[in-house]
Amino acid sequence: MSSTTNASATAKRTYPKRRKPFRPNGWTIAGWAFLILLLIFTIVPMAWMISTSLKTQFASIQQPPDWIPDNPNLKQYRTLLNPNNELGAQFLRYFRNSLWVSTMTTILGLVVAVPAAYAFSRFTFPGKDALFFSVLVRNMFPVVVFLIPLFILMKNLGLIDSQWSLILTYLTFGLPLSIWLLKGFYDNIPPELERAARIDGATRFQAFRLIVMPLSAPGIIATAIYSFIQGWNEYVYARTFLNSEEKMTMPIGLQKFFTENSSNWPGLMAASFIMSVPVVVLFLMLQRYFVQALTEGAVKH
Amino acid sequence: MTSSRDRFDFMSLSINRRAVLAAAAGFAGIAAFQTGAFARLLQDVSKTGVDPSKWNIETINALAGTITVDTAAELHALVPDTASGKVSLWINGPVESTPQIAKDFYEEFGTIFKTWYPNLELDRQNVDYNDLLDKLRTASAGGAAPDVAKMPILWGVEFAARGDLQEIILEDYGLSKELFWEGALKSVTWEGKYYGIPTNNETMAFIWNKQLFADAGLDPENPPATWADVVAYSKAIKEKTGAFGYGMVAKVNAGNTPFRYMPMVWAYGSSALDEAETAPTMKTTMINNEGGVAALQNMYDMYVTDRSVPTSALTNTQVENQDLFISGQVAMMIAHPSEYVTMQNKLAAAEGDEKALAQTVVDNMSYGLIPEGPVRRSVVFGGSNAHIFTDKAHGGAINAEGAKAVVAALTSPEWALKNNWTDSNPANLRGFETEWMKQRLTDIRFLEVTTSMLPYGVPFPVVPESTEIMNIIIPEMIQNALTETMSVQEAADDAAARITELISQA
Amino acid sequence: MQLTAESPPNEPRRKRGLLANIAHHWADYVYILPAILVMVLVIGYPIVYTVWLSFHDTPIRTGDHIFNGVDNYREILSSPKFWKTTKNTFVWTIGSTGGAFILGFAAALVLHKQFIGRGVVRAILLIPYVISAVAAAYVWKWMLHSDYGLISGVLKDWGIIDQNLVLLDSKDRVLPTVIVVNIWKEFSFVMIMMIAGLQTVPEQLLRAARVDGAGVWQQFTHVTVPYLKNVILITTLLLFVANLNSFTLVYLMTGGGPANASQLWITDIYNIAFRSLGYGLASAYSVILFLVMLAAGWYYVRILTQGSKRGAS
Repeated sequence: MSSTTNASATAKRTYPKRRKPFRPNGWTIAGWAFLILLLIFTIVPMAWMISTSLKTQFASIQQPPDWIPDNPNLKQYRTLLNPNNELGAQFLRYFRNSLWVSTMTTILGLVVAVPAAYAFSRFTFPGKDALFFSVLVRNMFPVVVFLIPLFILMKNLGLIDSQWSLILTYLTFGLPLSIWLLKGFYDNIPPELERAARIDGATRFQAFRLIVMPLSAPGIIATAIYSFIQGWNEYVYARTFLNSEEKMTMPIGLQKFFTENSSNWPGLMAASFIMSVPVVVLFLMLQRYFVQALTEGAVKH
Repeated sequence: MTSSRDRFDFMSLSINRRAVLAAAAGFAGIAAFQTGAFARLLQDVSKTGVDPSKWNIETINALAGTITVDTAAELHALVPDTASGKVSLWINGPVESTPQIAKDFYEEFGTIFKTWYPNLELDRQNVDYNDLLDKLRTASAGGAAPDVAKMPILWGVEFAARGDLQEIILEDYGLSKELFWEGALKSVTWEGKYYGIPTNNETMAFIWNKQLFADAGLDPENPPATWADVVAYSKAIKEKTGAFGYGMVAKVNAGNTPFRYMPMVWAYGSSALDEAETAPTMKTTMINNEGGVAALQNMYDMYVTDRSVPTSALTNTQVENQDLFISGQVAMMIAHPSEYVTMQNKLAAAEGDEKALAQTVVDNMSYGLIPEGPVRRSVVFGGSNAHIFTDKAHGGAINAEGAKAVVAALTSPEWALKNNWTDSNPANLRGFETEWMKQRLTDIRFLEVTTSMLPYGVPFPVVPESTEIMNIIIPEMIQNALTETMSVQEAADDAAARITELISQA
Repeated sequence: MQLTAESPPNEPRRKRGLLANIAHHWADYVYILPAILVMVLVIGYPIVYTVWLSFHDTPIRTGDHIFNGVDNYREILSSPKFWKTTKNTFVWTIGSTGGAFILGFAAALVLHKQFIGRGVVRAILLIPYVISAVAAAYVWKWMLHSDYGLISGVLKDWGIIDQNLVLLDSKDRVLPTVIVVNIWKEFSFVMIMMIAGLQTVPEQLLRAARVDGAGVWQQFTHVTVPYLKNVILITTLLLFVANLNSFTLVYLMTGGGPANASQLWITDIYNIAFRSLGYGLASAYSVILFLVMLAAGWYYVRILTQGSKRGAS
């Protein structure tokens, strides 16, 4: 554009703007084809999940498989979401428990991660790099082997069969990513802003709350989403730490449909679907914050 | 027995006298038993203490309904109704797809227990079968085990070996050895002492689809007589009808697999250790003897050569086979007593055309004895036991009276029966004489068939290594052969080597 | 410019001994105290316990802990199953990470340009990432079932094959199959990270390259990728570690079978710990797994921190 002559520039200004003709090149076509295939790859399992959940147990194992059930019925969903029948009441309780655990994990995760990220960003102190690395290390140890020592720990803390044992454990899942994300945000917020506020008489904490936090809002939201989803979907620890029926979370609830002696595929699919809805909705609503957070916070250096 | 002075004296009596009094409490039951039909049945000592020729459909029916029991009275004679405190029980209870009647009994047990012991708070947790063992292990390792647990028959021994279970004297509960199957008692024995009481026992039988048999030109009224016949039938059915013949199960880490494979192994005169032999030592393995290889060869023939069993057998548990059976895609399989009820449930849930098809299958379902082999006819002796944990495993003092009350209730003739109405039989043999047994025999089709397999039952080796042998080594042996990773002989030898190494470390 | 909690902005920093340094910065540590506390408790203690246990024998029958030096390590490293499992783990991790990365990056590139409905498409593609691994395992297991699965049924229906398609039951095909499922589950995480990254690539650089005659592919390899080096490293590191640790998907779909064809380190550890009750062995195994990850992580982090040290002003 900078090399056009004056004449054409002038000409452009007097004529109405013309759309550039759409000329698909090889890359565009390839891109579209790829996208369509990818969408199919992504959607088919979900569609099948829904389709199965609407079938009767019997129909679900017919060969050749039917996409559209002959006698679609919402029986599985009605059973699961009906607080009056035994299964429904149970399922709704799992739902509530998962909600509680995930929310607390999120809140506490933020309470822990935010100051830590701030410190890593703003301060220099001995051992800073090592500590930062150790935060990453958390993810590296196999989940399953921690089961027994963590169980003993939780027992000593009196937390067995309490959802707090899960909350405490889940906190550590999201910490590395959270701290890293938020640190990136704080790195990009000039310290001068805070200093200016402090010169104006604000305390360090007020400066933090009024200036830094709003600017890092996408990061906080991203962290929140990530923690929430981790807590919602986790299976192995929930199964080990919780004994009472009343305290269990949804991933364990799914197991109920697939036991040693009988199976209920439509029920399993319906339960999987219901379990997925909240996190999907949550993520979809807030995903642009997630992207924004990654852009501003983590990716820019 | 109920004045405070008596109670105080009761508790302060020495062990021997207490035992005598407790025995006296159940004396009425035992006396009736000794003179009853059962005593005569138990003259011959076989694997399970009962002569198979004297235990059949007719005798079982004749036994039922010959006594009445007053459970409340019997329980209160053991543990007075003033027992108090909290007692926790972990149990593998009903799930969503369990028949309604079983769910109803589960609820009723909770209610009625409260009426027996108003001051005792029963904290009962219904834990999924897949999770129960892991949770018990983690819990007892971490000192958080419940007071009482009702565990499937194979599980208790590892806890006993580790000292997590309390020793139990049968007489303290008004019981005696004669009231239980020999195999059941073996499963609660460790180093000569009892660490639990059997609650229920069951054995599986063979079911088949008469229609598919007829379509393949086979006799629809009788199951295959031998395991070699099973292989031949399976092939014929696949060729002539296109449906799978035998419902094979070969998944690793799934309890169903050894339950359905070991009967054939034992039938051919082989064993994982030497559990099917008359005087097992549990120190050597026979899995790769001639019979063991022959049994494995049968599996190979069906899966690889004839392709007459579901391709998904390697990842199937019995659960998937049920679905295949009810839709007429599998013709025969070893089945748990409860599977008939499961089929009925699936039929009830079917709609439209499928309903007609499912109805045909259910109408054509037949139960028979498990096929025999060259050496014997056998089936896995299954069931559950009630155990009390030690203070150490519990992480505090066990509520002794409460635990005793719970165990006594679980093993009483009435509730050992009712708690397992659809899927098993009371371990306490007096249960067979109650009126409820009579009702079960009428209500539950084929119950007399599965019950008549009881004397052929062989319990899994009662050693802590059993879980690994049965759930990992044996299925892996099958998978190695069926995926042709190893030849049949190699797979058997490999399993033998692994079992030997495992046992030698003990 | 870095601040400490206490020192006023313009005071020159004095040299101090290490202990004095720590003491001087005590207020800084308060900020990270909660995080450290949680980490020490929930991670430190189990790590110490596991390492301790790895040097002990835990016989099934007695439940004791008997010190046995490096016997556990020797036993694991010399078992033939271990090498098969290692190979599987290697294939699984590299395959999943590479596959998810390529797919996710490609998706990000396609979604980078604005078009109608882009938001919806992006949203749909994110679904596999957020649903639970348990749900995903069951749905895919259901779809891939050899006897009544959708895929087998549809292919037979269309006449492409005439016998059931055996995937999860085939010892040769099971590992690639579960890798594909894992890629399905993870690619949108990469997509999201790379979308964010692509938005930071300055348009001027690309335009300059175009002016210099670079084609689309060359723009990509010479401008975009180098600019995104850090994001790519972080993403693949997180993915690598997650895949090495990924348990639920494989365990529920195949349990490690058939015949150990899909046995990974992590599922093997689980079986040894909870089926065979070999806690000492499982601990040693975990330590080995951990050391591998540590090595990979250390390498990555060095590249990262070098990069940011160079980049920071």
